[in-house]
Amino acid sequence: MEWMITADEPGRTYLMQGNEAIARGALEAGIRFAAAYPGSPSSEILAMLGHVAEKMDLYAEWSTNETCALEACLGASFARVRSLCIMKQNGLLVVGDALHSASLSGVKGGLVLVVADDPSAHSSTNEFDSRHQARSAGLPMLEPANMQEAKDMVKWGYELSEQLQQLVMVRTVTRINHGRSSVSLGELPKEKPDPVTIGEWDRMVAINWFKDAQIAKIDQAKSIFETSPFNEYKGPEEPDMIIVTCGTGWLYSSEAVEALGLRDRIGILKIGTTYPLPEDFIVKHLLKTKKVLVIEEVDPFLEQNIAGIIAYHPELQVELLGRYGGKAMPRNGELNPDIVRNTLARLTGTAFTGPETAVIPPEEAVALPARELTFCAGCPHRASFFLLKQTLRIQEGQGVVMGDIGCYTMGGQRAGHYLYNFLCCMGGGINAAEGMGQLTRFGFKQPVLALAGDSTFFHSCLPGLVNAKYHDSNMLFVVLDNSATAMTGFQPHPGIGQTAMGKAAEPISIKKVAEAIGCPVTVADPFDISGTTSKVYDLLKQPGLKVLILKQECATLVVRKREKPRVWVDQELCRGDDCGCGRFCSRIWGCPGNIWDYEAGKAKIDEVVCVGCGVCISLCPAGAIKMEGGGACG
Amino acid sequence: MPGGMDLKNEVFQSSTCALCGACLDWCPYIANMEDHLVMRFDCNVGEGRCYAVCPRTYADWQAIGDRYLPDTPRNIEIGPYFNVFRVKAAAGIKGQQDGGTVSNLVKTIMEDELAQAVLLTGSEDHVTPEPFLAVDIDDIEKAAGSRFLASPGLRKIIEAQANKVQKLAVVGRPCQIQALRKMDFNRRPDKPPLDLITIGLFCMWSLGWDFNEYLQKNFPGEKILSLGIPQHGFVVKTDKGEHILPLDEVKKFNKAGCGYCLDMTSELADISVGAFEAEKGWNTVIVRSGKGQELLDKAVEKDYLICADYPEEELNRLKGASIGKKNRNLNNIQAAFDKGVKPFIDLNSEMYAQVRKLAEGMVK
Repeated sequence: MEWMITADEPGRTYLMQGNEAIARGALEAGIRFAAAYPGSPSSEILAMLGHVAEKMDLYAEWSTNETCALEACLGASFARVRSLCIMKQNGLLVVGDALHSASLSGVKGGLVLVVADDPSAHSSTNEFDSRHQARSAGLPMLEPANMQEAKDMVKWGYELSEQLQQLVMVRTVTRINHGRSSVSLGELPKEKPDPVTIGEWDRMVAINWFKDAQIAKIDQAKSIFETSPFNEYKGPEEPDMIIVTCGTGWLYSSEAVEALGLRDRIGILKIGTTYPLPEDFIVKHLLKTKKVLVIEEVDPFLEQNIAGIIAYHPELQVELLGRYGGKAMPRNGELNPDIVRNTLARLTGTAFTGPETAVIPPEEAVALPARELTFCAGCPHRASFFLLKQTLRIQEGQGVVMGDIGCYTMGGQRAGHYLYNFLCCMGGGINAAEGMGQLTRFGFKQPVLALAGDSTFFHSCLPGLVNAKYHDSNMLFVVLDNSATAMTGFQPHPGIGQTAMGKAAEPISIKKVAEAIGCPVTVADPFDISGTTSKVYDLLKQPGLKVLILKQECATLVVRKREKPRVWVDQELCRGDDCGCGRFCSRIWGCPGNIWDYEAGKAKIDEVVCVGCGVCISLCPAGAIKMEGGGACG
Repeated sequence: MPGGMDLKNEVFQSSTCALCGACLDWCPYIANMEDHLVMRFDCNVGEGRCYAVCPRTYADWQAIGDRYLPDTPRNIEIGPYFNVFRVKAAAGIKGQQDGGTVSNLVKTIMEDELAQAVLLTGSEDHVTPEPFLAVDIDDIEKAAGSRFLASPGLRKIIEAQANKVQKLAVVGRPCQIQALRKMDFNRRPDKPPLDLITIGLFCMWSLGWDFNEYLQKNFPGEKILSLGIPQHGFVVKTDKGEHILPLDEVKKFNKAGCGYCLDMTSELADISVGAFEAEKGWNTVIVRSGKGQELLDKAVEKDYLICADYPEEELNRLKGASIGKKNRNLNNIQAAFDKGVKPFIDLNSEMYAQVRKLAEGMVK
């Protein structure tokens, strides 16, 4: 069966993931260019486009960071090629300058920027609301409320983009990206236009001369949105209350109104074009009621823009409720059908009489142990954090560690012995370390370390490394090189040697890059705990900027390539709870493969989970952990 | 008996650690890098071997003396002893310091198989100490000469046990002999007693390992061949020549933990060996147990060692030096206790009052 995202079956309905629908929408629009930096929940889109790139006659790349991705799309757009740019909410902040500048220059070939927000920050360090950036940059923005709309809005986004000659943003949330529902396919274009010749006097220049043009474009978008089919009102003509909603809020609201039997009392005003708002359309409907409840994910963005409309329209006499102030709705965190239903029941004085969501009776409920995020079995980061922690304890100078973003962000919890003291954003660690490392001149004596993964190194550490080197900061920059963008699902990066389209590329050596900048570089194996501990100890004694690359391939990749050795515990030798151990392997080292045999009161190996990295063998004080067979580790 | 976290609080963090090494290599929580001992992770074991063996945690030292040297006449100044001799090697041993007595005692132990292994300390670079278990007579040469940097030699006890060494001889500093006695005194009921021959060294202090950096900084590019205190001053012999450092300069690197030591002559050893100040080429030997006497007799019988009477005047000088150290460090201990360090001796005991009285008499 042909994969549905490339299926030439107009009108056929498939169960599609939101990210598949987005990719399909872009293919139906005839894109020839796609660029992204991975980040949950957006990562699948470019991965899929990369897979089908050759077949669908397009180019796809995992760019080194989001700015590279967006500006690459601008380049394609200049030659009138339709392009898709994809990122998560943090990426949109990385790309802020480019975004605000691009809105001045505008675009030529259609350019749609899909940005995926992560309410409750399930796979992020924060839950920024991307929509502020659309408003700030003055860009039109669409918000799909289901998977069909995700496809259709992306496709229509290209028409809108070319009509306005402006970049169009599509904002999704996790439940749209990763949820699945029916999507009816449209037509795939038979032919795609080739890039045009750029004439001597053709320009795409971001400069404030074009501010008026930019304003004209956003005003034009507003008038187009007034009649957009993505906006609709459903409900009585004189409702007690109107719910204004967008995105997943629409599904939750519809379900709540049904469940509470409020169809005759409550109207739902669904907005798909959340910036700029279709002001006349909204005023027309809000005149029907005295009470408005806004339901949306993350910030009260829609709510406060509606508050603005209300302020400009004295004819509207409504009480406005929403997430602002946290009285009607929770101020932060992801919404769900229960929150919305309970809010609506409370505000309308109705009781829910329908069947409860499956709830386990308290007497049958089993308390789950609280579990923190942790590294996989055999993860080289566990070894890196273990040896860095012990070196800092041994070194006794109470080192300060600046963390960064990636799998190793979890090292701030128990899995990494709560190692780092500081965490900001991608590339934030090295710069904070550079600053603190400059305080030596004022008598600051603690060693300063910064961490970064290999993908993060390329993404945002290069300017920081140049800065730290040029100003000779006293710091140790530790690159945790697991040869993977592991957190988001192994998308290739410039150090890997493969592209999004599966082609081989010449990998860029982190060591050579750092050396070319002029840094002394040490490469060490985190699995050699004692040897690498000595190296770190020595490096921390040296003044100036040092780079340490802790290189060992991600366990999830290794386990696919290598025959797994068998690791087990000789319980005769194991000291267990006794002095000289105290469950060192399961309690301190903490690999999910090292577990406790409660019956024997001794350690054992979970042979299903263990990948055979062998590090615990070198840590067991009694030499009780044994290994046989298998291939050698990286 | 408390555990690792108590050791961390009472010893590591109070800088009373003497770096004997007794707590190392058994426990995965205690680690060292050079001469720093730390808890690299937090131990949760309430009763720890580490605490039980440490010479800087509380012990009833008199009871320990009574257990291991029960019949030896007591002496407040230099500890229990039967006899003091001056001793020297009949023939020189390469690299020996002073009389070569220790090397010949070890050789005797090996030849007569009085122990299966001897814990010695060597040094490849002639500065950094490297403890090792010697099983071969050829190994003795590697340990000849003095180490001035504190060596955590007792970490090798674990290796000896792992290699099923039943009878072990140890050449160690006073703190190490104390730790060995505590190790047996506090051993768990299910563990067999340690079968040891202990050769204790005289020790005024050891140096912290930052002294190594000092040497490298002051004599860059020079290869160090030996360190010593032949008479006056600290002599550093290198491939480029000989440097004499003022002793006061070197003492700045004294390990802080050595300032709490009340034992100059390894008072709990079977036999103690140190310099004989009055005449170069001789050692002072204090025989404290039957085992010690037997070892000395064998070495003399083999014509390895020459044993002679000890001058009364020198014995008084030795006792004076020992009392001086005790008194000085009693003051340090008192000061540390006043600052909140948990007491590891009973400062009110009669013995220490006598020490102070003797020291006072000396000053007069």
